[in-house]
Amino acid sequence: MIGSLELFQPTTVQEASQALAELGDKARIYAGGAELLLLLRNGLLQSEVLVDVKRIERLHRLEMDNGVLRIGACVTHHALENSALVREHAPALAYAESQVANVRVRNQGTLGGNLAFNDPHSDPGTVLLIHDAWLATGNQNSERRVALSDFFVDMYATALEAGDLLLEVEIPRLPAGMKSVYQRLHRYQRPTLGVAVGAAMRHGVIEEVRLAVGCVGPKAERLTELERKLSGAKLNDARRILSEETKYLRALLRPVDDLLGSADYKLYMTGVMLADALEQAGQNGNG
Amino acid sequence: MAMASDLKKTFNASLTVNGAPWSGAVAIEETLLELLRNRLHLTGTKRSCESEVCGACTVLVDNQPMSSCNYLAFEAHQKSVITIEGVALGDELDPLQEAFIRNIGAQCGYCTPGQIMAAKALLIENPHPTREQIAEWLSGNICRCGAYGAIAQSILEAAQEYQK
Repeated sequence: MIGSLELFQPTTVQEASQALAELGDKARIYAGGAELLLLLRNGLLQSEVLVDVKRIERLHRLEMDNGVLRIGACVTHHALENSALVREHAPALAYAESQVANVRVRNQGTLGGNLAFNDPHSDPGTVLLIHDAWLATGNQNSERRVALSDFFVDMYATALEAGDLLLEVEIPRLPAGMKSVYQRLHRYQRPTLGVAVGAAMRHGVIEEVRLAVGCVGPKAERLTELERKLSGAKLNDARRILSEETKYLRALLRPVDDLLGSADYKLYMTGVMLADALEQAGQNGNG
Repeated sequence: MAMASDLKKTFNASLTVNGAPWSGAVAIEETLLELLRNRLHLTGTKRSCESEVCGACTVLVDNQPMSSCNYLAFEAHQKSVITIEGVALGDELDPLQEAFIRNIGAQCGYCTPGQIMAAKALLIENPHPTREQIAEWLSGNICRCGAYGAIAQSILEAAQEYQK
């Protein structure tokens, strides 16, 4: 049983933000409830008021705007996995969305809710990191843009402040010639490990590369130092280079032992799957 | 605070359940599963994990599969809800139900209503699924007895039946 709740259904960002500011910790933003209702039922979070943001029209947009794909915070995972626009502009994201939990969760859960919850065991954020995605957030006074890498602060913690709403995700196109791939390892519905790779290759040489890893530690991370080492390397040498980077990966990713596997296992598999994903990127990626 | 009057403790919902209209006040925290089982006595929909993992509580909301255990009843306002009780046409079983019986697509049967509702949703979205697509779609419907082979076979056969 979920404890007694009240409902507020604003139609503008201003109304929603004002309610959140006035009600403080008593209120929670509610977009679909895929994550929130579980926490309320299990007593991990208390709330008296749901601020249902689904009636705010702007949060449902899904469109191209000057080469940038804009996805409103309330667009569901299922809508994204089926979107021709997403498949064309960000094929690895479309694939990652198709792998989120199960079809019921994908029907209910939203991209905005997923990012704002910032559960470490999640898929879409890892892919969005290789796109250098930005997030638009807003409150009753102003709007601002935050780079996704700055938005993810720590496990279950984001750069959102009291009264802030996540409005939309801005996804720039990858550089010309770059192919993208998402791969995940999972024993249960939540992934043990997710890797995202964007790579431009020519004659077996990695010309430009972007790498991100999620689920292993507190939050998804870009691997910028390793990207520099791999730029200019032969694809055939990538697996060896990656296998020599355990120390760097451990320091950056801060892996933990948990029911999904030991920290050592996750680190080992990170190297294996980054290499696999690079090879897949060399063969057209997720399309 | 201007909005105190805008806070609702209950929601006056109007929906259809298996084609029949239903209207009434639902508590905001009331789940669709609670409404279906406790108030409408449609107990074919099962409560199990209550965390959107097992699929036993699957119903269709506007033809989309949903975990009714974690879906607030007010969200079904102005929508169509179909449960396992609404799949047969009177005494005439749905091809999916026929195929599950024919193939023994169940052992204890507790997950079966959810399996059939998930399969129904799949065949609405993709009338010609491959065995792999069935496995992918149904990966969120757990059968502890392990009847998966017969479940997949039943869905493949029902897909053929629907096309006749």
